[in-house]
Amino acid sequence: MKPLKIAMLSLTHGHTRKYFRTLEESPQLDWVAASAADDVVEERFRQAVKGVPCYRDEEEMFDRHPEIEAVVLASDNSEHLRQMKACVERGIHILSMKIPTFDLDEYDQMIELVERAGLVCQIELELHYNPVVHRVKKLVADGAVGRILSIQATNITLSPVWAFPWQGVPELSYGRRVPLADGDGRFRGGALCDHPHVFDLIRWLTGSDFEQIHAEVAPNLRPDLEVEDLLLVNGKMADGCTFLLDPSWSRLEERLPVPGPGWEVFPKRMEVNLTIGGERGTLLADCFGPNVYHNGAPRDRYTVHYTYFDEWIGLIDEFVACVRTGRTPRINLRWHRRTIEAMNACYESIAAGQPVVLKNETPGCETKRTGDLVQ
Amino acid sequence: MSPAALANVNEALERLLRKYEVSVDRPWRLLGEPQPSDRGPAGALQLVPGWAEAEADLPETTVPLRPWRAERRFLELRRLVEDETIVPVLMCRFACLTDGESFSLDAALYREFDLVAWLAGAPITRVYATITAGRAANVVLRLANDVLCSVEVATTLPPGTPMQDRHELIARRGVASDRVVDTQVTQSSVYVWSDGETRQFTDTDAELFGLSPLEVSLVRSAYQALSKPEHHGEMRRQHARLRQLVALAYESDRRQQRLDVPGGPP
Repeated sequence: MKPLKIAMLSLTHGHTRKYFRTLEESPQLDWVAASAADDVVEERFRQAVKGVPCYRDEEEMFDRHPEIEAVVLASDNSEHLRQMKACVERGIHILSMKIPTFDLDEYDQMIELVERAGLVCQIELELHYNPVVHRVKKLVADGAVGRILSIQATNITLSPVWAFPWQGVPELSYGRRVPLADGDGRFRGGALCDHPHVFDLIRWLTGSDFEQIHAEVAPNLRPDLEVEDLLLVNGKMADGCTFLLDPSWSRLEERLPVPGPGWEVFPKRMEVNLTIGGERGTLLADCFGPNVYHNGAPRDRYTVHYTYFDEWIGLIDEFVACVRTGRTPRINLRWHRRTIEAMNACYESIAAGQPVVLKNETPGCETKRTGDLVQ
Repeated sequence: MSPAALANVNEALERLLRKYEVSVDRPWRLLGEPQPSDRGPAGALQLVPGWAEAEADLPETTVPLRPWRAERRFLELRRLVEDETIVPVLMCRFACLTDGESFSLDAALYREFDLVAWLAGAPITRVYATITAGRAANVVLRLANDVLCSVEVATTLPPGTPMQDRHELIARRGVASDRVVDTQVTQSSVYVWSDGETRQFTDTDAELFGLSPLEVSLVRSAYQALSKPEHHGEMRRQHARLRQLVALAYESDRRQQRLDVPGGPP
């Protein structure tokens, strides 16, 4: 298959560095160029990547490289719609970060734009390409635990805001400044916005959709943040499955400007664990474990050193195949809309102090798919 | 390895070579353990698990693999040493318990001796081993960089029991291990309790999903070997040295003496 000529935009997303190696090494990609949001980002890019031209102006990059076929939209959430429009105008396929936008009017514009242009827009939810998640999906599809009655899932990490400041700025991560609740000095746009994965996974595993969502925030672990960092979510799916999700930034971090060794205060910087209770049994999964462990440099703290990091290979494989064959990605804009709706419902519940009932009637966003996961 | 499993790993290897556009200029065949009677066409490159080759000197058509070197956990432990996250390594404590069927005592010694030298970054120079009934061995090793190592190996697990191993590197700054603190046995990624049984799974490689951990590492190491044919000679030399070290462990036990590795470091 002809390598896909690809570029990266902005380079401000927390996953940016994870793409560097993939884009450099994948024989399916020809990394043509990058554009950096500011001087600091550009300098970091130049230190990390050699031989790929970096521009400060996206338009200039596109003009100089008309061969670009696709981009990784590695930018603040608030930039996504503008950048998608620019890509659509040029017929460029899009690999979007995990939150295209929280504004559903903007979201629908995005759907219309890419569908009308006949372009691929894949949402980066890399857990789908994780081998442990493969195993969980297969076990569930094979009926290992029978009909699912309950799912508990963590998607807990340290907070990336010190390295990626936009993730702590409500306008840039949530899209606008909306108070969490009356009398609460904090705003939407924190940990919840960083953790859509478990909201998505539960839909895949149950083949159902959210019906009732309740969320509450705790006092912040980091009082100096103006966005939420600790919250819990529970509720029911339309098929009756009860769930409890923890999408918090509950693992403290050193406030490093560039992520690297010694970032962790708590030993494990990122955890996605699942507990699935079914009519026939129970399944526990650690999507990023086991690993190796040390208490060495730079801070001599007990630390989980990850051995799982090849999710981006499968993600790129799917993206390239979709571009080349015209196939629709599994995590496409339409599919992902309900996940975003559910995350918005969490914020609504926090504001209302009550559960929120979701309507499952968005046209074209069908829950049931022709997959192997629906019981 | 069953014929079906062998066919699977060969297909998986072929798939990887195709995906990453690695061309190999001669026929090849990935062989399992025990060695199948069909070793491929005449002149074909035979990629074999090193521990399964009893002979020290191998012909040029044979490439002895050390699949553990392609396992993520060992790659990351090695990275922790190379990056001086733990430094300087002073002592290693390694263990490998098997059921003796998939991995014999000699195979386990071969593996652990290779891992010790590879992870701690220096060749083994001295061996003292005590071996009982051909089923259990306790070995103390010295490396050329003065690192002291213990290797506990036994084939006393009941048939069908998964391998239990542990690799701990102790440095003046930091300890690294593939076992989480305060646990004794290998952890899994997935546990399922259903229908009166418990099942465990650890999948580490999405591209080779469906293969067992041993098969995954075998395919990965074979892929690396085919990608870098210039390393084949060195792989055969290292195999010969590992065979020599395993034999030396038995000799140490027989003579009840600590023995220097003949010829010193390679």
